[in-house]
Amino acid sequence: MSLIKNCIRTLRFIGAYLVANLQAAMEYRAAFIAQVITMIANDSLWLFFWWTYFRQFPLVHGWQSTNIVVIWAVAACGFGIGMAVFGNTPRLAALIMNGGLDAYLGMPRNVLLHVCITASDPSAWGDIMFAIGAFLLILRPDPLHFALFLLLALQAALIFAAFLVIFGSLAFFLGNTEGLAQQMLGALTTFSTYPMNIFTGVVRLLLFTVVPAGFVSFVPLQLLQRFSWPLLAGMTGFTLLFAAIAAGIFQLGLKRYESGNLLGMQN
Amino acid sequence: MDTSITRRGAIYHARRTLSLSLQKYGAVVRVSIANNLAYVMEVFFRALLLVVLVFILSQLWRTTFSARGTKILSGFSISAMVWYLVAAETIAMSLPALTRRIDQEVRSGQLAYLLGRPSSYVFYNFAQYLGERLVRLTINLVVGSILALIVVGLPHFTWMGILAWPLVTLLALCIDFVAYFGIGLLAFWTEETSSFALIFSRLTLVLGGVLAPLEIFPQPLRSIAQALPFSTILYGPSRTLVHFEPDRFVPLLWQQLITLAVGSLILLAVYRVAIRRVNINGG
Repeated sequence: MSLIKNCIRTLRFIGAYLVANLQAAMEYRAAFIAQVITMIANDSLWLFFWWTYFRQFPLVHGWQSTNIVVIWAVAACGFGIGMAVFGNTPRLAALIMNGGLDAYLGMPRNVLLHVCITASDPSAWGDIMFAIGAFLLILRPDPLHFALFLLLALQAALIFAAFLVIFGSLAFFLGNTEGLAQQMLGALTTFSTYPMNIFTGVVRLLLFTVVPAGFVSFVPLQLLQRFSWPLLAGMTGFTLLFAAIAAGIFQLGLKRYESGNLLGMQN
Repeated sequence: MDTSITRRGAIYHARRTLSLSLQKYGAVVRVSIANNLAYVMEVFFRALLLVVLVFILSQLWRTTFSARGTKILSGFSISAMVWYLVAAETIAMSLPALTRRIDQEVRSGQLAYLLGRPSSYVFYNFAQYLGERLVRLTINLVVGSILALIVVGLPHFTWMGILAWPLVTLLALCIDFVAYFGIGLLAFWTEETSSFALIFSRLTLVLGGVLAPLEIFPQPLRSIAQALPFSTILYGPSRTLVHFEPDRFVPLLWQQLITLAVGSLILLAVYRVAIRRVNINGG
């Protein structure tokens, strides 16, 4: 019972920050709208290119041209939710280096969760709108498939956030890893938007472990095409394990954290 | 006699002014190169994403060639395709955050201090941008070439292509500067310029041929993309290096020069209007 209560409290906590961040972004309404529209246009442009490409050069192994829409929709929605809800994760390494965690250590909430949700990337809403729009308009799914899509996108969002936490937390051990985290995020998002059919051997193994692009695009694609409970359990298990590893590395690193004696306030 | 002396004096004065300007902006380019070489490891770090992108695209093209059961696709072999991708990604990924810098200088008011310097704000920024971009371009080229050598082996470039590539690439960098500097100046009027920069960048990447040569596009998209100025930034220089053809090189040069001339005129017009909005207060 207390577990459910904790879950509800945590969700309300995340929701409160999400609303506050959205209200802050809406203070600059024109800029916010411009960023959202630009991101929708950006994603649509990429999808248009790949749609054209795969219609002209269909791959083998049962690849269909609509698969690229599924891959882009899940990856964009996952990334969008990740950056809208956990928008501070890309800055984690800089916060660790600059003593920016001080403001969170005295708070009664979980430090990692609190740090991750205090900022939001306004353009992420464009990714979410694009993904949902593309999935509904192009693939015309039934309600069950749409619900499954949302569930998978939420899991992809957790994978993106955990991935950034892992590489950001390396700053506790290796110094400034902000650049490394950015490069690795670039690699994860790039690998996530291409068919897995083109990768083999060690690269494929890496894409299901160190850079888990396979769980952001390939497994969701399989589930949306041919649903199976064991595969969904595998996807959920990996997501939870990856999130637990991220939290573990952060907690381990936090023991090494030295305050910057930084005077400031959480904004 | 007097007229001849006056004309000679004017020519001498103009030459001296040009020579001094070249020295001045040349010094800014050198300082910018030195500044960026000081953080050369960071630039190498950034080039890692280029490795990822070229690797993925080369895998994709290998699969496409294999699925089609052909060795030549739209006039490109797999080797030429990978070298084309390296050339295009080298230019695309060497772009510094120019728009963001100009945007911040406008918003923070730092522009007012820079305007007081004995140099043109536009040319000073161009020299600084060129230095930064040349360092990134060179490192990207080294990293990309090593990867391409490993993946597909030696390229089959012609001497003409190798000699023409620096010229068309320099013109491409100038076109990029004009576009991104102009977008940065929009900070005088809009709350947000990064959106415009993002859209321009994506149009350059997708319609400019960073993922594949424009020959693979179906018609009429191919003709539209080739006619647009974006193709002069990535596709034109990369194709010149990989598949040099004199019949295509001359029209490309004209297209680049016209794009640059029109872009520069628009930029100068925007700049003149923008500068009138600067208020300098003492203090």
